[in-house]
Amino acid sequence: MITIEHVTKLYGQTRALREITLDVARGEVLSLLGPNGSGKTTLLRLLTGYLSPTAGRLVVAGYDTVRQPMEARRQIGYVPEALPLYGHMRVCEFLAFMGRLRGLSPGTTATAIARVSDRVHLREVLTAPIRTLSRGYRQRVAIAQALVHSPAILIFDEPTNGLDPRQIIETRHLIRSLAGACTVVMSSHILSEVERTADRVAILLQGQLLGVRTVADTPDLEALFLSLT
Amino acid sequence: MSALGVLLRKELHATCTSPIAYVVGTVFLLVTGYTFSLTLFLAKVANLTYIFHQMYVLLVLLVPVLTMRAFAEERRADTLELLLTAPVREVWIVLAKFVAALALIVGLLVLSGTYAVVLGLYGEPDWAPIYGGYLGLVLLACLLIALGMLTSSLTENQVVAATTALGISLMLWFADAAAYLLPTPYDFIVLNLSLIGHFTTFVRGSLFLSDAGYYVTLSGLALFLTTRVLTAR
Repeated sequence: MITIEHVTKLYGQTRALREITLDVARGEVLSLLGPNGSGKTTLLRLLTGYLSPTAGRLVVAGYDTVRQPMEARRQIGYVPEALPLYGHMRVCEFLAFMGRLRGLSPGTTATAIARVSDRVHLREVLTAPIRTLSRGYRQRVAIAQALVHSPAILIFDEPTNGLDPRQIIETRHLIRSLAGACTVVMSSHILSEVERTADRVAILLQGQLLGVRTVADTPDLEALFLSLT
Repeated sequence: MSALGVLLRKELHATCTSPIAYVVGTVFLLVTGYTFSLTLFLAKVANLTYIFHQMYVLLVLLVPVLTMRAFAEERRADTLELLLTAPVREVWIVLAKFVAALALIVGLLVLSGTYAVVLGLYGEPDWAPIYGGYLGLVLLACLLIALGMLTSSLTENQVVAATTALGISLMLWFADAAAYLLPTPYDFIVLNLSLIGHFTTFVRGSLFLSDAGYYVTLSGLALFLTTRVLTAR
């Protein structure tokens, strides 16, 4: 579903990613694991088309992210770490805006909003201005906008960052429930979160891919992480 | 509706709900209304030349305030990442913001059209300078908006964006004065960059393609550069 071939990304003279090669299968949950500054967010931004690779290529659902950016972006739902939302909009207006922007027709937008608001429990705040929402609800809105056009691929950047324990558990359950129907790529620097959410884990350090392991076959992820990093 | 239409609707909604738009509109109409009344009752002159020159100054001062949020705010709030990862072309994002800002300015100019109506009812004004003046103001607004959007795309600090746009506009305004200090052929080139030089011909009721071309070309260039800033990442 996702193919990353020899991808390098430079910011000026700084090498953020070096020769990354990785495949993600359909319906799989892959977690990028690494300390801050290891290149996780850069790799996710390359997948979404927000950044362009300096070298190499990324193919998303059969579309090259540089040569066919529009087609590739239509396949993706993205939840950035910063939870960027338009505070002046109501939740339903924001979801309609994002849905329409991603190609939903006026007729299907209302149905799609109802579907995602049920899925992430947003019904009670649909008419509330986003600026009035708590961090937990803002997280749900960010996830809902990523789901509203039923994408084949979901990308989460640090999805549980800043959430309380209950919200973390709910987000993990949500990601697991999406597996199979969607291909999920997420980033995290929390080992326990990766163990409970992902099928496979890719360990990054200073822009290099140190290894990819199946979580079920790795009983001691902590020991593996320490040995690799 | 295409993605461009969706973006345009969002930008128009953001413009209409922004307090900055109302402040800019109020200042613009109050100041021009005050000057119009003074000109009409004291000078008893049935033309809008003074008003057009005052609108010119007000647009140079106020448009950077209007456009400073365009991309700086999106960048600060990280919502630009959301837009640029959606299946929309960067040029559509730029055009939607441009058209929304231009719609506000054109709305203000339409409201100021009541001055021309008053002149028409109570006097016999020469309509060519009035039509020309409004056309010049629309073209001027296009250029100022495009410049403001360009500076806004380069920073996430709105004050920096507004100040830089104002600085560029003022430099273009006074380009004709600077041209006198330069040797040939640089004086000719700089003279032709003058913002006011290309505007006054419209207010006189003359329409030269070179004047319209100046505004259209520079506006297009600024919008092109804004799009390039968004795509270079």
